[in-house]
Amino acid sequence: MKRKIVLNVNNDNYEVEVEPGRLLADVIREDIGLTGTKKGCEIGVCGACTVLLDGKAVSSCLMLAVHAVGKKITTIEGLMKNGELDPLQKAFVDYGAFQCGFCTPGVLMASKAMLNENPHATEHEIREGLNGNLCRCTGYAKMIDAIKSVAGR
Amino acid sequence: MQEFSVVGKRLPRVEGHDKVTGKALYVADLKLPNMLYGKVLRSPIPHGKVLNVDTSRARKLPGVKAVITGEDTSKVKWGAFINDMHVLAFDKVRFVGDEVAAVAAVDEATAQEAVDLIKVDYEELPAVFDVFEAMEPGAPILHEGNNIALHQKFVKGDFEGGMKEAAYVFEDKFTTPIVWHAYLETMGALASYSLSGKLTIWLSTQTLFMARQRIARALGMRIADVRLIQPNVGGGFGGKSCDEPTAMICGLLAQKTGRPVRLINSREEEFQASRPRVATNIFLKMGFRKDGTIAFKDTKVVNDNGAYSAKAPATTGVTLTRVDTLYRFKNIRGEALLVYTNKVPTGAYRGFGNPPMHFAVEQMMDMAAEATGLDPTEVRLRNATQVGDVSVHGWRVNSCALSDSIKKAAELMNWKEARTNKKPHQGFGMGCFIHVSGKRHFGNYDGSSAVIKINEDGKATIFSGEGEIGQGAFTVLSQIAAEELGVPLKDVEISVGDTDSTTYCHGAYASRLTYIAGNAVKAAAADAKKQLFKMAAEMLEADPEDLTSREAKIFVKGNPSKAVTVSDVARGCLYREGGFPIVGRGAWDPPSELQTKDTRDGNTSGAYSYGTQMCQVEVDPETGKVKVLNFVAAHDSGKVINPMLGEGQIEGALQQGIGYALTEEMAFEDGKVMNPNFADYKILGADDMPEKIKIHFVETCMEPTGPFGAKGLGEPGLVATSPAIANAIYNAVGVRIKGLPMTPEKILNALKEKRANKQ
Repeated sequence: MKRKIVLNVNNDNYEVEVEPGRLLADVIREDIGLTGTKKGCEIGVCGACTVLLDGKAVSSCLMLAVHAVGKKITTIEGLMKNGELDPLQKAFVDYGAFQCGFCTPGVLMASKAMLNENPHATEHEIREGLNGNLCRCTGYAKMIDAIKSVAGR
Repeated sequence: MQEFSVVGKRLPRVEGHDKVTGKALYVADLKLPNMLYGKVLRSPIPHGKVLNVDTSRARKLPGVKAVITGEDTSKVKWGAFINDMHVLAFDKVRFVGDEVAAVAAVDEATAQEAVDLIKVDYEELPAVFDVFEAMEPGAPILHEGNNIALHQKFVKGDFEGGMKEAAYVFEDKFTTPIVWHAYLETMGALASYSLSGKLTIWLSTQTLFMARQRIARALGMRIADVRLIQPNVGGGFGGKSCDEPTAMICGLLAQKTGRPVRLINSREEEFQASRPRVATNIFLKMGFRKDGTIAFKDTKVVNDNGAYSAKAPATTGVTLTRVDTLYRFKNIRGEALLVYTNKVPTGAYRGFGNPPMHFAVEQMMDMAAEATGLDPTEVRLRNATQVGDVSVHGWRVNSCALSDSIKKAAELMNWKEARTNKKPHQGFGMGCFIHVSGKRHFGNYDGSSAVIKINEDGKATIFSGEGEIGQGAFTVLSQIAAEELGVPLKDVEISVGDTDSTTYCHGAYASRLTYIAGNAVKAAAADAKKQLFKMAAEMLEADPEDLTSREAKIFVKGNPSKAVTVSDVARGCLYREGGFPIVGRGAWDPPSELQTKDTRDGNTSGAYSYGTQMCQVEVDPETGKVKVLNFVAAHDSGKVINPMLGEGQIEGALQQGIGYALTEEMAFEDGKVMNPNFADYKILGADDMPEKIKIHFVETCMEPTGPFGAKGLGEPGLVATSPAIANAIYNAVGVRIKGLPMTPEKILNALKEKRANKQ
């Protein structure tokens, strides 16, 4: 049975009708149309679907949409502020921290959550913090440099 | 040295902002009005006759718009080198995952439900999973005749004489497994069919035009009636070369329904039925003279094709021969067999067939170092290919900084001192490599072409069908065009790959784009510049020969104060009686040759890249676990167009190469992939990577035929990685591991055996 719910994504409220078993990632991508959030593995291992829920990183492919009701969801589309790139986004561009870009939204959201919690994360903490995000292009080196440059501020 | 204003700079990617903001659209993000969702039914058995496919229940399910089987296809067989694949099985299935039927429905859940309602009657046949068993008399035959898909054999130089000269001879068997590309975006297509007869497919592919040819063949259509558009592609590494039928199935569903259909593979489907790296068995014998020079090499390769031939026929030839231009081999014998088994068909994966043979040969180079008492760097320096060499296969080496790369890597690793003073259970190892910049093997053409139009505001638009898959081709090609035109990078943009609006391009493989597409784009820019200069000369009352351009201004050399802008000239050319837009066109085919079929003679590529990798590892003797502590890569890629992107290519390749060396392997049971997901097929995470990585480009030798001296660098980063680690493990704990991946289990067993032999 479909159910009407309201999701707050990037400070906008969206009224959507969903089956109780529908995943948050699918609702964000298909129903709301914010396709920046990616699905990479379907089992919560690759981190491509990472979004923020009240500032904390979650795998939206493992979460039911109905469980996100009443929470503040932030996706990659909500990372820019006032038309300006977030410092992390800018650092990723400047350091060449991505290639194909498919894992990038998830990595950026996970990094954002990491720095929310620990603004001056060390290289070691950054490496550990990225362990939930797989990337097959970059070898992570330039990602780590980019995040370090923001954490060092 | 030539001064550049755009080339050689660490510039951010031209498509960067879209990728960090979530605006970059990949095929699974695309939606068309009235779109349907496709799903595929795959064979659950490794080998069997398809007796009957009952689709009646699936068809009756509300929301189902089409169900197709092999009977709905043209039944034309297709393939890159051997036409042995079908779009959907109509006679037999040959591996677990083989495509049998497909559905288009109003949503994904309905499509999946319909797939589950299709009933297939199979007559199961005996299956064979091992290449050696598959060559035995009486083995189950997958196709016709026997299971040997390809057989190559040659002798070169004075092989017998070389054997006599050898003072040290080593002989061993090396094995490498099937490993998977693991790009983060699964493959998919969005197809739309117009009643005028045009089939448009947005496809996650790295070879647009070749995909178009294969799709047209398999669907029985005219080539130009198929239009392929490349959205953003989430990584390819060889896997997205249209060697499997996703695009054909999606296209056929769109034709049958008259509605757009989107078909996206699940991660599990990708593991089961994409085209991973070929597994090899390498029987290698090498002889060395007393001074460490190579006297002879004898190689036999037995490769696992899987159930169909994707790129494995070409991969196998590469395994057999590419390494022969790394050193000055003179007397060699080679034989390769490619054998069908009832497993996933294999194909192209970064490095093609090259990494497995490097794993073998580069370990033998270290064995020779030990036997002769020479340093591993010295043995390699004594054999290293040099500029001007013509190798045993007729490959012409126009540029080569292999020796410099060995010396540079040793300097960066502090090689001799570090090896002498190493800590217990730690070791240092090295590996050298050769790779190509393009490979002539699809007909006698390995060229590229491009068109550049100068907009009336002076901005240049490049039309290239080569495509961006994450490797940075858009940025590098834009930099090359900007340098040639004499404009800043912001004044250049590049089109997406689209077979309707760009000229024919082979696509992204064999590290060919910077070198080959770069030269084509450079030629197109030169053509546009010539037209600009002709008009500018009129405006400046000067001779076109005397003009130069910089920062989007055209002026007489030495007199920048009197200048016209590119925009002025483009407008001046257009807005007048008989005016025309400035459109440059360029084409370039490298000076390479098609190799002879069996003996593999002929200069396969226009340019060869070289390099040396060194690493420091620590082996835990209790657990057998290897930790890579430190990595150095000194690569000869000629002039590097964008060092930041270039480093990124090697850093990413190392992640794949270290995985290939230590952890990655597709596990099979009765032909079924047992680890078809990212939880069970472990690729390295950020924390698994060495903390210290130094990338250095040895720019001591420019490629004379390359654009601004450049050659390929996308693939080579993992070619020497597994032998460098293998040699470091030997240096650390004294055991040689000859099968990839070098798991803790294999290392512990080898240590146990070593202790037993001592007693």
